[in-house]
Amino acid sequence: MRTLRALWRIPSARLALVVLLGVALLAVLGGTLAPHDPLHQYTDDVLQGPSSTHLLGTDYVGRDVLSRLMEGTRLSVVGAVEAVLIGAVLGVPTGLASAWLGPRLEWLTLRVSDTLVILPFTVFAIAVAGTLGNGLQQAMIAIGILISPIFFRVTRAAALGLRKVQYVEAAELMGATEWWTLRRHIWTKVLPNVAVTAAHATGAALLVVASLAFLGLGVTPPAPTWGGMLSSDLGYLAQQPWAPIFPALLMMATVGSLNLLADAIRDATGATEAPRRRRPTPPVREERRDGVPA
Amino acid sequence: MTVVAPAPGAVPSAAEASGRAAAALRRALPALRSLAGVVAVTVTVLFLASVVTFALGALSDSNPAAAALGETATAEDIARLDHEFGLDRPLVEQYATWVGNAVTGDLGRSWFTTIPVADSIRTALPVDLSIAALALVLAILIGGGAGIGAALSNGGVVDRAVTLVCSLLGTLPPFVIGMALIVVFAVKLQLLPAGGYVPVQTDPLEWLRFAILPALALSLDVAASIARQLRTSLVGELRENYAVGAAMRGFGRRRVLFGHVLRNAAGPTLAVIGLAIPLIIGGAVMTEKLFGLPGVAQLSLQAAEKGDVPVVLGTLLVTAVVVVVASLVVNLLQVLLNPVARRGSGATGAAR
Repeated sequence: MRTLRALWRIPSARLALVVLLGVALLAVLGGTLAPHDPLHQYTDDVLQGPSSTHLLGTDYVGRDVLSRLMEGTRLSVVGAVEAVLIGAVLGVPTGLASAWLGPRLEWLTLRVSDTLVILPFTVFAIAVAGTLGNGLQQAMIAIGILISPIFFRVTRAAALGLRKVQYVEAAELMGATEWWTLRRHIWTKVLPNVAVTAAHATGAALLVVASLAFLGLGVTPPAPTWGGMLSSDLGYLAQQPWAPIFPALLMMATVGSLNLLADAIRDATGATEAPRRRRPTPPVREERRDGVPA
Repeated sequence: MTVVAPAPGAVPSAAEASGRAAAALRRALPALRSLAGVVAVTVTVLFLASVVTFALGALSDSNPAAAALGETATAEDIARLDHEFGLDRPLVEQYATWVGNAVTGDLGRSWFTTIPVADSIRTALPVDLSIAALALVLAILIGGGAGIGAALSNGGVVDRAVTLVCSLLGTLPPFVIGMALIVVFAVKLQLLPAGGYVPVQTDPLEWLRFAILPALALSLDVAASIARQLRTSLVGELRENYAVGAAMRGFGRRRVLFGHVLRNAAGPTLAVIGLAIPLIIGGAVMTEKLFGLPGVAQLSLQAAEKGDVPVVLGTLLVTAVVVVVASLVVNLLQVLLNPVARRGSGATGAAR
């Protein structure tokens, strides 16, 4: 609560929170607030510009763009949030464990995270769709798994620095259990970093979900999503070169707000986005052999 | 006799040589050890990537008979084709043969066309690689220029403009940027083609005409992160004592920047480029669809629609290998740039 109040005092965070609240409302209520049925085709008014009946115009089969944007918010946002939750659930505990439970597990988890980092989102999502079937759940699980290394690395980096801090050692000397120390001292320090990462990752996931929709993965037409609308506008760029602007603007506002919010959380809580591990001091003996003063 | 005779004379020189070799070995040991570390990590990552890829195939419920014959496939057909493709064997055995074949360049055959997967990828991969390479060059040029400009005008108009454009670029999916480029350069100005492809071997200039828009669309995202990182590290380095000292001794701003600071700031930027390689390869998928390029992603997408598992797995594996190799090159460049890492103590940190 205190953090929220501190956030509210930052103007850019206030703007971001308002925009995100609006997007969240659209995600929950979007379909019911929409002026038209997002799937109804007004076949007489195909590819219309903005007018009083269709505030943002109509698309290539005459569907109301505003209604589709409002309804599309739900699937876009829900998909991205789901992917980020999966990523956090996989990444945060393994990150803590890898900093806490010794070098062997650390090595293994680091290699797994290295592996997941090199798999490109879109190619992996295509492969998942090709083997496990094309659906929103499969796509989001795939994206969540690929997002998890980000959480893993941030959590691990934040926890590593704390392992040898004096108050943690003091707590251990006074007989605190590992679990208690982890919860009381480590988690409160790791949480802001996780929150910053979550905000950034949600923005990134929104873009990935849109990209997948553009490739025809995840959400299948005619259900509207931001990315799906953008990709259907692509075929009519010659007639309606401005059509992609509306979904693009909505997406920019959402992702931009998430990035602003992430920066604000960092400023308000003093979290560092990716705390650096102190470099191991180079072995002195070898330095001397090379004739370089240590 | 002739065999034994040289032996006594050779013994001291051999010992000497082995002594020298040992000394050289001891000197090279940190570098060798870090090299071994990098190799171990790379091999593990490749192994894990192949396991992930194979697991996707193993979890899949599509089978060659259903894929090729559709609804009409009988249980007998399924069993027969499963046997033909070796899918009735134990998973470990399947994995071993699959990886063994993949190492020799055989990724199996498509379930539909029975064309070797490796052949299809071989014809499609140069499209992606050439465009990704062009995109990387563009990203380094644009991002490097913007980052240096921003750092030089630290806090000025250029700096703020670069920061704003970078933040805005980061809020849009790459295909929207591609669409904007199509609208401007192909629809409005009619300067460049909106789609199509000519291989670089047949006509490099014509290739450039077709490749420049996709590469530009692909590069802007990465250019933004390069610019941001380069600006941050340049501004930090310019405050260091050696840079201030150089300026005090009367070196011009440009001389300090290009002669002293840029080399030190390049390390973190290279790391950003290394991380961006999967983004570029993944983004190539998007641009392929947007610009109608006959690349790996089109192959993979079409295969995914039909449930052609060998093709899908093959493309994923090849993509992973390409990314690993590219990241390895970036890592080596980083080591070359950084004298501490070159001596071996820092490379273990890089491997972590």
